[in-house]
Amino acid sequence: MQAAKLWLSRIHELPLRESVAVMNVCGGHEHSLSMLGLRAVLPKMVRLIPGPGCPVCVCPEEDIADSIALALHGGVTLVAFGDMLRVPMNAPKGEIKTLAGARAAGADVRPISSPQEAVAIARAQPERQVVFFVAGFETTTAPVAAMLAEGVPDNLSVLLAARLTWPAVDMLLQDKDSALDALIAPGHVATVMGAEEWRFVADTYHLPVAVAGFSAVSLLAALYSVLRQKLENRPFLDNCYAELVQPQGNAKARRWLDEVMEVGPANWRGIGIIPASGFFLRGAWKRYDARQRFDVLAAPRRRIGEMPPGCDCAAVVLGKLTPEQCRLYGKACTPMHPVGPCMVSDEGACHIWWQAGLRAA
Amino acid sequence: MSAFDEDLGDTVTLAHGNGGRLMRLLITKLFAPHLGNPTLDTEADSACISLPPGELMVTTDGFTVQPLQFPGGDIGALAIDGVVNDLAVAGATPVYVTLAAFIEEGLEMAVLASIVQSLGAAAKAAGVRVVAGDTKVLPRGQGGGLYLALTGLGVRTPGCKLGMSQIKPGDKILVSGTIGDHGIAVMLARQAYGLRGDVVSDAAPVLPLTQALLAMPGLRFMRDPTRGGLATVAHEIAQATGHGVSLEEAAIPVSPASASVCEILGFDLLYLASEGRVVAVLAPEDAPAALVAWQALEAGRNAAIIGTVEANTRGVRLLTPIGGARFLPELEADALPRIC
Repeated sequence: MQAAKLWLSRIHELPLRESVAVMNVCGGHEHSLSMLGLRAVLPKMVRLIPGPGCPVCVCPEEDIADSIALALHGGVTLVAFGDMLRVPMNAPKGEIKTLAGARAAGADVRPISSPQEAVAIARAQPERQVVFFVAGFETTTAPVAAMLAEGVPDNLSVLLAARLTWPAVDMLLQDKDSALDALIAPGHVATVMGAEEWRFVADTYHLPVAVAGFSAVSLLAALYSVLRQKLENRPFLDNCYAELVQPQGNAKARRWLDEVMEVGPANWRGIGIIPASGFFLRGAWKRYDARQRFDVLAAPRRRIGEMPPGCDCAAVVLGKLTPEQCRLYGKACTPMHPVGPCMVSDEGACHIWWQAGLRAA
Repeated sequence: MSAFDEDLGDTVTLAHGNGGRLMRLLITKLFAPHLGNPTLDTEADSACISLPPGELMVTTDGFTVQPLQFPGGDIGALAIDGVVNDLAVAGATPVYVTLAAFIEEGLEMAVLASIVQSLGAAAKAAGVRVVAGDTKVLPRGQGGGLYLALTGLGVRTPGCKLGMSQIKPGDKILVSGTIGDHGIAVMLARQAYGLRGDVVSDAAPVLPLTQALLAMPGLRFMRDPTRGGLATVAHEIAQATGHGVSLEEAAIPVSPASASVCEILGFDLLYLASEGRVVAVLAPEDAPAALVAWQALEAGRNAAIIGTVEANTRGVRLLTPIGGARFLPELEADALPRIC
């Protein structure tokens, strides 16, 4: 912690003259810095804005609806990373809204924490179809690609809602109204894809950018870097997580992604279609696509793909509102009864702020 | 053939609960040998006991942990430690317990025997006698293998003033060891999430820890941080006293293995159960001596002063190592079901 305190004192010594808005892209960063209580010890002029890096938050509503329909009516075992069980879809009152609700109604829905578990569950019951509902960014998608490349039983398929991180940031920065001054780039994503993926922030948008890890030291070093870049008007790509992040990332993981996945336009919940932002199974791998294997998909319904009424998750994901500015925060929407997806996951800004004790006024 | 008694059979059946021969065998051959003591009469409907002088203290608790056996303990030892610890933190010396066992049809007899043996050993270690008992067998599917319900009786010195109402602003908060290891050990024992680890439950009687502090005039309150963990005890203190509680994150003892599991799965040790730890609140002038007394015990070697009761704040604040602070919310969603 001594090193972290040193970075903090260096930040305080910077002659900041105006407010600086720094977006931390990754939900893991938001979690770490909220749990460290970092906002309270930084200079008032530094504003940390949580960004779009929460895969649970941006997973399309229609994908959640499809997963619930499959679990309820497909005669399958549906496995998913734990958080996805609690994300609500738009369903009329009294109807099943979440995978957890489907499980309570008798569907075989199981939370898992790794692709290996999905394979083990499929191997253990060869007579039954197992569907792996995958929402995640590059960090999650690479192990899923590896799982498929290494061979999976025929009774396993994937319902993919996997996304690339940088296109969402690119879209944010294209926005003329964007008031962002600097970017902390996601450490885990950069571990897989490489720090170089974030060079566009400095080159195209002339904004300071630094890749950070999840410790106080790494986060504060990255923050110091972007603040100093901003002060000196000298934006470049810095890497403050060099112990793990290579310029080109993890070659093996990227090879797996290239082999199994292709990239195309994809929908982000509450945000819309972002070009070249979704992973899809490529060529022969399409036979593992649950959408091709099953025709049990969600029936048409009202508010398809939309955020729940009154929910500001989309604005929170885009950094345009902070969680406590949403009317539902802490009132209709709490971790026990989440309305919007940002209140569900450990990477969702609303859930993190609530866990860090921040209550609506 | 059963490993220890051919009459009893390999698994528990409904007949072991029907009041007849098999039930008699279960009690006399499996329970009585491990629980046997002069006061436990397996024939009588009720027991006559006499208590040492002092205030009579009573507590009751149910145990439903899954799995029944885990690294560092099992439901039998956990049940004894659980009731003994509830008496101990109230300043009492535990003397007697009663035991009701709800056994699910199909439980392996050898597992039941091992659990009862460990329950008996834990009772002996804690110096309590099982003076009354009951067994019931539930049809398969209607119980988690084995549930236990215990009532504990103890005595404490008359006039012992321990309780939340004694707590004053400025008081110090101590914890006797690393937190949350029981919660992590039980979770790993379920082999959920494909994680393996060498975390051992901290389940143990806390009597030596509580007795080490009882003579201190500045001792205000003790509690064992079981379900809901340290954060929940801190909230209970804050709510009951109307004062704020601040905890120094860097001072809270954690075992590296448990911390890693939490980091991987996104759990927070502050909310996870311990079954052999004590949180104590003491007047500031007595806190250093209490710390020395605890650290002199094996069970208290990782003890630390971790927080303060504050007059002008509310709720529970966690002071982070970087100098920041955040409010610690009350536990909401249940991360780990059935840990005690």
